[in-house]
Amino acid sequence: MATITTSPGQTRALELNILARKQRSLWRDAWFRLRRNKAAMVGLGVVAVFVVIAILAPFLAPRDPIQQTTANALADPFWGSPQYTNPEYPLGSDQLGRDILSRLIWSTRVSLWVGFIPVSLIFLIGVSVGMLAGYNGGWVDNLLMRITDVIYAFPDLLFLFIIMAMLRNTAAGNLGGGLVLMFVAIALVNWVGMARLVRGQVLSLKEREFIEAARAIGAKPRRIMVRHLFPNVLAPVIVSVAFGIPSAMLAEATLSFFGIGIKPPTPTWGVMINEGFVVFSTTPWPVLLPALCISIVMLAFTFVGDGLRDALDPRMKT
Amino acid sequence: MLKYTIRRLLLLIPTLFFVALIVFSLAHAAPGSPFDAKSNENKPLPQATIERLNHLYGIDKPVWEQFALYLSNAIRFDFGSSFVRDRPVIEIIGQGFPYSAQLGVQALLVALMFSLPLGVISALRQNSIVDYASLLFATVGTTIPSFVIGIFAIYIFGVTLHLLPFVGWSTPSHWILPTAILSLGAMAFLTRITRASMLEAIRQDYVRTARSKGLGEQVVIVAHVMKNAMIPVVTIVGPATAGLITGSIIIEGLFSIPGIGRLFLTSIIQRDYPLIMGTYMLYAVLIAVANLVVDLTYGIVDPRIRFDR
Repeated sequence: MATITTSPGQTRALELNILARKQRSLWRDAWFRLRRNKAAMVGLGVVAVFVVIAILAPFLAPRDPIQQTTANALADPFWGSPQYTNPEYPLGSDQLGRDILSRLIWSTRVSLWVGFIPVSLIFLIGVSVGMLAGYNGGWVDNLLMRITDVIYAFPDLLFLFIIMAMLRNTAAGNLGGGLVLMFVAIALVNWVGMARLVRGQVLSLKEREFIEAARAIGAKPRRIMVRHLFPNVLAPVIVSVAFGIPSAMLAEATLSFFGIGIKPPTPTWGVMINEGFVVFSTTPWPVLLPALCISIVMLAFTFVGDGLRDALDPRMKT
Repeated sequence: MLKYTIRRLLLLIPTLFFVALIVFSLAHAAPGSPFDAKSNENKPLPQATIERLNHLYGIDKPVWEQFALYLSNAIRFDFGSSFVRDRPVIEIIGQGFPYSAQLGVQALLVALMFSLPLGVISALRQNSIVDYASLLFATVGTTIPSFVIGIFAIYIFGVTLHLLPFVGWSTPSHWILPTAILSLGAMAFLTRITRASMLEAIRQDYVRTARSKGLGEQVVIVAHVMKNAMIPVVTIVGPATAGLITGSIIIEGLFSIPGIGRLFLTSIIQRDYPLIMGTYMLYAVLIAVANLVVDLTYGIVDPRIRFDR
């Protein structure tokens, strides 16, 4: 490891300089800009509430989300006419007599998992492969580009449909009610985009002087990648992650809506819409309420993503 | 340009081969055959019948042999027969295609018809109410998934107001909701791009030059700003079209339209391999061609881009 030696006087001057000029990193600046973005802050607030609800689901949900009480089926929400409402079911019940409020609350858990786990996988695989391919080139790069050509030829939503439909009745598809297969499928379809993004960034960064300087003082490739390249590709990666979360949630909702996502009785918003669709024209609430939840969460995440993009890279502002 | 086109078309062959290989293996990785008693729990077939059916459709052969057979037939445009419908895949797809094509073309036209004027107006009146409204529309339209918007639309216009039908594709009034919902995403996306690219073009030096030599405002906007602002928009029409193609699957499922999207959905649920392969390959080709057309139009609208090198 190389250090730059300085005389005591120089050190003192450096310290003074740093003290006099309050340090503001890219991240501080970005946070500053983000805080002034009202839409992003509202979105962040909604996301925070959503996360809290997901964590506290067992304490917040008034009833068991999968317990069926057919005698109480299809109650209206509390704002409906009194003869069809049931005080024990504040947001009504579905055709199997399950409490919609509790199902909505428990669904946030699944959405949260689906939002965060595949995106973490995409982050890990995409960033490491992208950095290796961009920095080293060679066979990793060639392989990545060929894989990209093929994966880009797959219409991604259709590919997800096929993976889920074909594999959900296998042993792997049964793990966690179909959750594990969903994580893997979403990650499999999307990691290439992240790898491409990082590769492109690294390709342009590695020609810059600070990387040349690091190489000149003998830093090893590993160190250059972790200490110098990674922090510099982080901004676009974070933006991409912020948009990846809602799109993973959307994939789950869409698949579950068509009956090939998470397996019932596990409640998710998509599953609720799928099951409620049978009675939609007479009793719309079991479908409308989860649809509303999806809309709110999607908008919130998009506001945060837009805000992050504008805050981290003001030049990209549209 | 011709050379570039030919190279791109040739590249399609290995790509489609891999798509076929992967989808084929996935379809066959699923346990059991479509004729297993498990698939139709209500009336299980006798074992001998299942074996005979498996033999008839060649499912008893090893997977690689089936794949080789499939490929050699596919080259001659024989995509096999559907297991469930007992008719040639190509005939089934041919029957569904007009519906999907009509839906897609209508949605694209509607999207262009509304998004271009909206984007241009909101750029010319930046920070006005019109601008904020169209930005809000663009955010909502790209964020909220089409099936969710579709559900709200069905509830409002179909269930509550009884204004529009929402099942099937039989009369022109059946076309309205699916076309509108499918076009929303592309419309929002195109509005956003048109606005951004207009704003970019307005600030260019050649626009100032045009104004300073005394051209009328209309001429400046139409001949100088819009002409250049359309370049990025044209290139976005391609991805938007690809989005419409995959998006139509969801819309066809939601509104029960008998197009290829619905065929795809039912075929994967019924595990009808030949139909899965047929519809999926068709989608892959459509999207690849859409992308190729975009790259080529890119070169036509923007002479600065060159393909040979």
